[in-house]
Amino acid sequence: MRAVILDGIVLGLAFGLLGVGMTLVYGLGGVINLAYGQIVVLAAIVISLRMEDGWATVQAALVGVLAAAGVAVLLDQTLMRAVYRQHGEERTLMGLLLTLGAAFVIGGLLTWRYPAGALYINVTGEPVSILGVPMAVGSVWASVIALAVAAVLLLFFGGTTFGRGVRSVIQDETGARLVGISPSFVRTVIFALSGALAGIVAITQSMSGPLTVNAGFELTTFALIVTVVGGLGSVAGAFLAGVLLGVVNSLSAHYIGQYITTIILLGAAALTILIRPRGLLGR
Amino acid sequence: MLEVAGLAAGYLGEPVIEGVDIEIRTGEAVAIVGSNGAGKSTLFRAIAGLLPPMQGRVVLDGKDLTRRPAHRIARAGIAYVPAERHLFPAMTLKTNLVLGAYPKRPDRATLELVYALFPRLQERQRQQAGTLSGGEQQMLAVGRALMARPRLLMLDEPTTGLAPIVAQAAFEALEGLKKEGMTLLIAEQQVPLALSVADRGYVLENGRIRLSGTSVELDRNPEVRRAYLGVA
Amino acid sequence: MATTRSRPRFGAVVSGRVGWALLPIVATAAILAVLPSVWFGDSPYTTSLAVQALAFAAYGVGFNLIFGSTNQLFLCVGALAGVGGYGAAILTDETSLPMAAGVAVGTASAAIVGGLLSWIAVRRSLGVIFTGIVTLVFSLAFANLLLGQRDLTGAETGLVVTGAPARIGDDQVGGYYLFAGILVGFLVVFRVLQLSHVGWAFRALRDDEVAAELAGVDVSRYRIYAATLGSAMIGLTGALLAYSAGFISPTTYSFDRVDVRVLVLVAFGGLGTLLGPVIGAGVFAVLDEQLTASLELREVLYGVFVIAIFLGFRHGVVHAFVALSRRIARGWGGRPVEPDPPQDSRPEPPPVSG
Repeated sequence: MRAVILDGIVLGLAFGLLGVGMTLVYGLGGVINLAYGQIVVLAAIVISLRMEDGWATVQAALVGVLAAAGVAVLLDQTLMRAVYRQHGEERTLMGLLLTLGAAFVIGGLLTWRYPAGALYINVTGEPVSILGVPMAVGSVWASVIALAVAAVLLLFFGGTTFGRGVRSVIQDETGARLVGISPSFVRTVIFALSGALAGIVAITQSMSGPLTVNAGFELTTFALIVTVVGGLGSVAGAFLAGVLLGVVNSLSAHYIGQYITTIILLGAAALTILIRPRGLLGR
Repeated sequence: MLEVAGLAAGYLGEPVIEGVDIEIRTGEAVAIVGSNGAGKSTLFRAIAGLLPPMQGRVVLDGKDLTRRPAHRIARAGIAYVPAERHLFPAMTLKTNLVLGAYPKRPDRATLELVYALFPRLQERQRQQAGTLSGGEQQMLAVGRALMARPRLLMLDEPTTGLAPIVAQAAFEALEGLKKEGMTLLIAEQQVPLALSVADRGYVLENGRIRLSGTSVELDRNPEVRRAYLGVA
Repeated sequence: MATTRSRPRFGAVVSGRVGWALLPIVATAAILAVLPSVWFGDSPYTTSLAVQALAFAAYGVGFNLIFGSTNQLFLCVGALAGVGGYGAAILTDETSLPMAAGVAVGTASAAIVGGLLSWIAVRRSLGVIFTGIVTLVFSLAFANLLLGQRDLTGAETGLVVTGAPARIGDDQVGGYYLFAGILVGFLVVFRVLQLSHVGWAFRALRDDEVAAELAGVDVSRYRIYAATLGSAMIGLTGALLAYSAGFISPTTYSFDRVDVRVLVLVAFGGLGTLLGPVIGAGVFAVLDEQLTASLELREVLYGVFVIAIFLGFRHGVVHAFVALSRRIARGWGGRPVEPDPPQDSRPEPPPVSG
C-alpha cells in the first residue's frame, strides 16, 4: 500500500510539473496550448539526438530546455499575436485551432523524421529506500527535480517583482496595465517559461521510462486535466492537483484496472468543472 | 504639463468625444464636469491609453503620448484611477500598493505618505483587496496610483458608490494631495464637490467641451447653475 | 453588435423568399446527384472517399447546429457518432432486430446523450471552454469505455456490423446516395430552422445572451433543443456509417479522426453557415487526396493549412465569399445577400459610467 501511494506521489509530481506550464499560459491569456505535449516531445527528441552525438546528459538536457523555450517564443510571436488580438470566445476558439494546427505541424514533423524517436535517461544506481519502500533512482531524481522546480516557481511568483506582476495580469489585466505592466511582454516571458518547463518535463518523464515520439497528445491531455483540477494560473494548485491525481491514478490502477483509471482521471476533471469550476486553488 | 488637442475617441467606429482641447499646468487641480454619458470616462481612457484615440494628440511635458500603450503612459507619469478601480482582488492590500510602484521596488517614504493619507489602509494592509468595502477600495486605488509617484493623477468619478460622508472625506484627502503639489485631473458628476477642490474646470456635454474656466467662474455661471446645481 | 429584428410570431418563417432560401440546397442536391456519373467513374475507392466526405459534412451540419448556432463547444462529435454507431451495431448484433431499429436506437441514444450534456452545461452555466473540456472528457471516457468493454464492443479489434443490405456499402453508389440524401435532409432542417423563429432566437442568443434572455428567449431551452437535434443528426450519421462500412472500431469514432476534422472543416467553411460544412468537407476531401504521400507529412501539411486558413479566413470561406459578393453587389447597386455579417471581435467593452 505504501509503495502504491509513493508511486502515486512520484507520478503526481510529474503530473504537476506537466500541468504548471499549461496552467500559467491558460491563466494569463485564456489560451489552452494544445501543442504543449508536442513541445515536450520536441525537447525529448532534441536531447536524445544530442546524447546520440555523444554529448553529456546535462549539456544535452540544457539544449533541450532551451530548444523548447525557443519554440515556445516562436509560437508566441507568430500565432499567439493573432490569438491575443481577439477577445472572449473568439480568442478561445482561435487559440484552440491555431495551437491544434501547431500541434499537427510539430508532432507530424517529429513523427515523420524520427518515427522511432524516444528519450530514455537511464539513471544508474541502486534503488533508494524511501520510508522503507525501494524506489528506482530515476524516479527519485525526477521527483526531486519536480519539487525543486515547484519551489523555485513559488518563490518567483510570490516574492519577485516580476512574479507579482505576472499574478497581477492574471487577476486584472487592465489594472496591471494601469500600474505600468505590459501584459503582452509578460505573456511572452511566461510562454517561454512554459516551454522551458516542457523541456524539464521531457527530462523527468524520461527518467522513469522511455518517452516516445507519439506521446504528445496524451501529455497534453494530462496537462489539461491537472490544469483544470488545480485551478487556472495557480502553480501550487497544479502541483497539488498533480499529486492528488497521481495517487488516485496509482491506487486505481493497482486495485481496479487501467481503463477505468483513465476514465476516473478524466472524470475528476469533469467533476471539478461541474462542482468547483475554479479548481482547487484557483481564484 | 498636459496638453490635449482636438481629441476624438469612441467605440466600434463611432466617436463618443470630439474636438476636445484641455490644458493642465503643473500643480493645478482641474475638474471635468458633465452628466452621465457625456464622455468623461471615454476621455480619460483615451488619455490613459486604454482606448486608442481616433484623432487628436495627447502631450505630456512635450512628449507625445498619443496612441502609446497604457503601460507606457503609466510609466511616463500619468496615474489613472478608473471608476471600476481594477484592483487585484486576490492580493493583499499591501501587495496592491507595492505593485503600484512597478517596475520599481516600493519606496518606503511614499508608502508612509499613502498610509498617512489613508490610515485605514495601514490597518487593513494584510487583508485581501477583494474583501474591502467600497470606500476602502477607492482609497486603495488612489493609494496604488500614488505609489508610482506620478506627475499627473487622473481620477474618474472617485465618489461613485461612496456614502456622502465618505465622499466628503475622499475629497478632503484630494485637497491634501493638492497641497502637497500633486497635479490632479478629476472627472465628477457631483459638481459642487469637484469645484471645491479644483482650480479650473471644463464642462463636457455630448462629447464636446461646452464651457471652461476657473471654478469660481463656473460656479457663478448661470448655465452651469441651472444644469448641474439645480438652481433656477 | 449585429441588430436583430423584432421577434416574429411563433412558427413564422421570417424570410418570405422561400424559393431563394432553398436555392443553395437545391443546387447542392443537384450537384451531389450528378457527381457520381461525372466524377467517380465506377471506382469504389473514389466512391468511398465521397461517402466519407458526405458523412463528415453531415457531422458538420449537426455540429454547426450545436456550436455554430448556440455556442456550445461540443468536443464529442466522434463520441456521439460512436454512441449512434455502436448502439446500432450492438443492438443488431445481440438481438435479431432489423437495421432500421438499430438506426433508430442509435440516433435516439445519441440525441439523449447530447441533450444530457447540454442540460448539464446549462445547469452549471459552463462557458465555452469548460463545455469543451467536459465534452472532451466525455469523448475520451467513451473511447476508453469502448476499449474496456471488450465483450460487448470487441475493443480494438472492432465489431463487424451485420444487418445492412449490400447496396448501401460505403464503396457503393447506393451508399453514396444514402448519405447524400441524409445530408440534403439535414441541410433542409438546418435551413428551415435558420429561417424560423428558432433561427432568430439562435442569432439573438449568440449575439448577446443576456439581451436575448430579456427579450424572452429561453436560452437554456433553445440550447438543449439545438444540442439534442444536432446530436441526433450526428448519431444518425454514425449509425448509418456503421451499417454502410460493415465494420467499426474505436478509431472510427475517435477524437483524432472525427472531432478534429469536423471542427476544422466547419470553421473553415464558416461557423453557423448553411453550406459551410459541405464546402469544408469537400475541400478537405480533395486535400486528403492530394496529400496521400506519407501519413505524417499529411499531418504536417494539414497543420500548416489550418494555421494559414485561420490566420487568413477567420470567419470561414462562406463569410468571406458572402462579404465579397456583397461588395460586388453594392457596387452594381444590387441588393445585399441574406446571411448576417460575422461577429467581429469586440474591443474591451466601455465602462458603464458616463
